[in-house]
Amino acid sequence: MIAPDSEAGFACAIAAATAAKSALNLTGYGSKAGFLRPVVAGETLSTRAFRGVSLYAPKELVLSARSGTPLAELEATLAASGQHLIAEPPRYGFLGGAAATQSFGGVIACNLSGPRRIAWGAMRDHVLGVRAITGRGEIMRSGGRVLKNVTGLDLAKLLTGSYGTLALLTEITVKVLPIPEETGTLVLHDLTPARAVAALSAALGSPFSVTGAAYLPERAAAAVGYDRPVALIRIEDVAASVAYRLRALSTQLSRYAASTLLDRAGSLAIWQAVRDATPLAEAMPVQGGLEEAMIWRVSVAPSRGPDILGVAQALGLDGYLDWGGGLLMLAGPASHAAASALTEAVTAVGGGWWLLRAPEALRTSLACVPEEPPALAAIRGRLQTAFDPAGIFSPGKLHAA
Amino acid sequence: MLHDQTIQALTQRFGDRFSQHPAHCATHAHGEANPAAHQPDAVVFAHATEEVAALLNHCHTHHIPVTAFGAGTSLEGHVTPVQGGISLDLSQMNQILAVNDADLDVRVQAGVTRRQLNSTLRDHGLFFPVDPGADSTIGGMCATRASGTNAVRYGTMRENVLGLRAVLADGTIVDTGGRVRKSSTGYDLTRLLIGSEGTLGIITEIQLRLFGIPEATGAAICQFAGVAAAVSSVIEIIQSGIPVARIEFVDAAQMAASIAYSKLIGLQALPTLLFEFHGSAASVAEQAQQAEAITTEHGGAAFAFATAAEDRNRLWQARHDAFWAARASRPGYAVFTTDTIVPISRLAEAIAQADAAVARSGLDACVVGHVGDGNFHVMILFPDTPEAAARAWALDREIVAQALDLGGASSGEHGVGLGKREFLQREHGAPALAMMRAIKTALDPRGILNPGKILLDPLVSDC
Ligand SMILES: Cc1cc2nc3c(=O)[nH]c(=O)nc-3n(C[C@H](O)[C@H](O)[C@H](O)COP(=O)(O)OP(=O)(O)OC[C@H]3O[C@@H](n4cnc5c(N)ncnc54)[C@H](O)[C@@H]3O)c2cc1C
Repeated sequence: MIAPDSEAGFACAIAAATAAKSALNLTGYGSKAGFLRPVVAGETLSTRAFRGVSLYAPKELVLSARSGTPLAELEATLAASGQHLIAEPPRYGFLGGAAATQSFGGVIACNLSGPRRIAWGAMRDHVLGVRAITGRGEIMRSGGRVLKNVTGLDLAKLLTGSYGTLALLTEITVKVLPIPEETGTLVLHDLTPARAVAALSAALGSPFSVTGAAYLPERAAAAVGYDRPVALIRIEDVAASVAYRLRALSTQLSRYAASTLLDRAGSLAIWQAVRDATPLAEAMPVQGGLEEAMIWRVSVAPSRGPDILGVAQALGLDGYLDWGGGLLMLAGPASHAAASALTEAVTAVGGGWWLLRAPEALRTSLACVPEEPPALAAIRGRLQTAFDPAGIFSPGKLHAA
Repeated sequence: MLHDQTIQALTQRFGDRFSQHPAHCATHAHGEANPAAHQPDAVVFAHATEEVAALLNHCHTHHIPVTAFGAGTSLEGHVTPVQGGISLDLSQMNQILAVNDADLDVRVQAGVTRRQLNSTLRDHGLFFPVDPGADSTIGGMCATRASGTNAVRYGTMRENVLGLRAVLADGTIVDTGGRVRKSSTGYDLTRLLIGSEGTLGIITEIQLRLFGIPEATGAAICQFAGVAAAVSSVIEIIQSGIPVARIEFVDAAQMAASIAYSKLIGLQALPTLLFEFHGSAASVAEQAQQAEAITTEHGGAAFAFATAAEDRNRLWQARHDAFWAARASRPGYAVFTTDTIVPISRLAEAIAQADAAVARSGLDACVVGHVGDGNFHVMILFPDTPEAAARAWALDREIVAQALDLGGASSGEHGVGLGKREFLQREHGAPALAMMRAIKTALDPRGILNPGKILLDPLVSDC
């Protein structure tokens, strides 16, 4: 493994790899090495020695950090000023619990966002600028630290979510926000998935600025202490307003189900579980442990969420819905047949997926993200060549070569 | 000049929606406020994605430039077909295809305007938040990555587009993103096309994210003795996490113009902040109280809060009419608008520097700003003569240079077009520009899409 501690060091290593046409697996601490397909590369290039917050202006709500900065370190810096990352990036329990260190760069490269995404946008939406090294070994910057700009093509957004296949991110500038004063959750009890999503949609369409909308069917609910399914609706704001809005929502949604309220502590705990997918490990034990499991993150129009959950359950998977029904976190025993049936069903409703964990044989033989239509695949190829002419960055990660 | 075979082929395909009429060519020669007009050889009014694909396929084969035209309200020469060819007018593709109440999204054709959209959405209790000062098309707003007065709360086009249907230079039709909440699983082509100013593809359909009309809306206004006090108030309000929907700054000169133009009563020609709050009745009142406490601390006076629709609308209409009010304050003068953005901690400094530059130039100007994000417009008023226009242009260059020195950008929302190309190198550096050029070449190898925009290409002349 090469772990440079300067941009010049990265540039040098990348230029050498390009000259030798030898592939590099771009990584931080390797917590997400199991995501998508296994990378075929002789050498690993890690950002772990390039860390630290390089600029933090709490008044401006802007933070820049080197890509190897551990997420936890960065969030601690923000919390000391009463601020946080807006998109609430997950620390998936199946990555190894608290022990797994995630790098800031990895979170950005995978565009990982948590429950708050439905209200405040994805991680990508808060990226203001990046510094990165292209496959030519050139240090490139794009965007800056102002809250919006329209000067040229949006390279920063293109690199966010490109899974280390276009360039190596070295520094990222994001917008941050104050931590809301209060948070509370309305719990709707014992709804079917379809009724629950209808209730969540009604909540999201209401004027009450809901910042979390999830549904935990029976097994996932059991993992957070409920013996029947629950739909969760979160409000975050100043204290008086949170209380008022939760009351108003509980009245408005009474036609769907009886509800109870979670106070601050209960709310923080349950949304952390939703964010980190902890119900998957606890409620869906797989023989042989998580090593033998497959874990999916599936994205569909919210109104399709219940059907896909039904399909998944019939295939021996289970999990829960977030983002108002539009995101499914699913786990079950690894099986090629179940995997194909699931992705077929998701394709049929125009959705997408990411395979976040599976035994190696499945990861190499399945489409870990949807196949693209030929026109889009052609664009992807041309963009990749533009950034990385020798094709050295994490080959095979997204699609088979 | 178009060849006969092109004229024949396009006439056959589009009938009288292929036009070489001088009046059509003249109206498609420029956007709003653009001195460097250049006419297209013909205008095509498209009605369907397939038509756009057929047109691009022909133009790609025959190396004919194509410049998309929405409502033509862009301000930096974006729509000017500097190399002639076809101006592709999308304004007649104006169908709202599907409002999905449950999923809070809508699919529209590119020529739908933002007012048309919101008047349809109102019946559903929904709205689309991005509101540039002109009644632009959704396609044009995507292409320029437009934003408006409530970007701080709801984001810009970048955050509110879920997916696109677009036609690439060679006529290939692609769908990016989609109905789903989470954007694409591959590269984010949606965000690549947003803000590409018609240089990478023609957008024909857009899936937009919607919001519920807030239960209650409140507006407030507050006046200050100086710019710095107003800006400090804004910084503190944003930092304290009050979820303000809009905060706009208006300087003393603009207030004088707006008081006269919009017949505002009880206000003085002083630096002013306008607010809008969205939420429940209780939270709107509470947000206003918190904002008032902060502005008072900074010496703000005459904080007035209104919830009645009529009072709110009068105030915000005055803000929306600022451009026309400025123009009316100097009859016969022309207006040129700057668009710099700076880190908000440098905003007061940036406005002071711009004011000083205006004073040195001997021209008049009004300042308005989307201060929540550090973006402000100096509306330079100048006699309609070439000499004065040159001074206004020089003043704009100076204000941009000031913003770049403060760590800002040459444009916060209007875009690059022809007018801001020279600043990109300094803002992004050569490697990023080389990547932009490589992407342009990858998607439009023959360079037929809106040639001459965004990138200063040494090989191709502008006019
Ligand atoms: C008074 C006034 C106030 C304004 N206020 C704001 C403001 O607050 N915020 C803001 O962001 N802007 C503002 N603008 C600028 C302008 O309104 C925006 O840039 C708007 O987004 C342009 O939309 P349009 O439909 O007029 O596009 P046009 O001007 O027709 O085109 C703009 C660019 O987009 C391309 N284009 C248009 N349609 C398509 C398409 N379907 N596919 C691909 N490319 C396309 C064109 O080729 C051109 O490069 C203002 C302008 C005026 C005159």
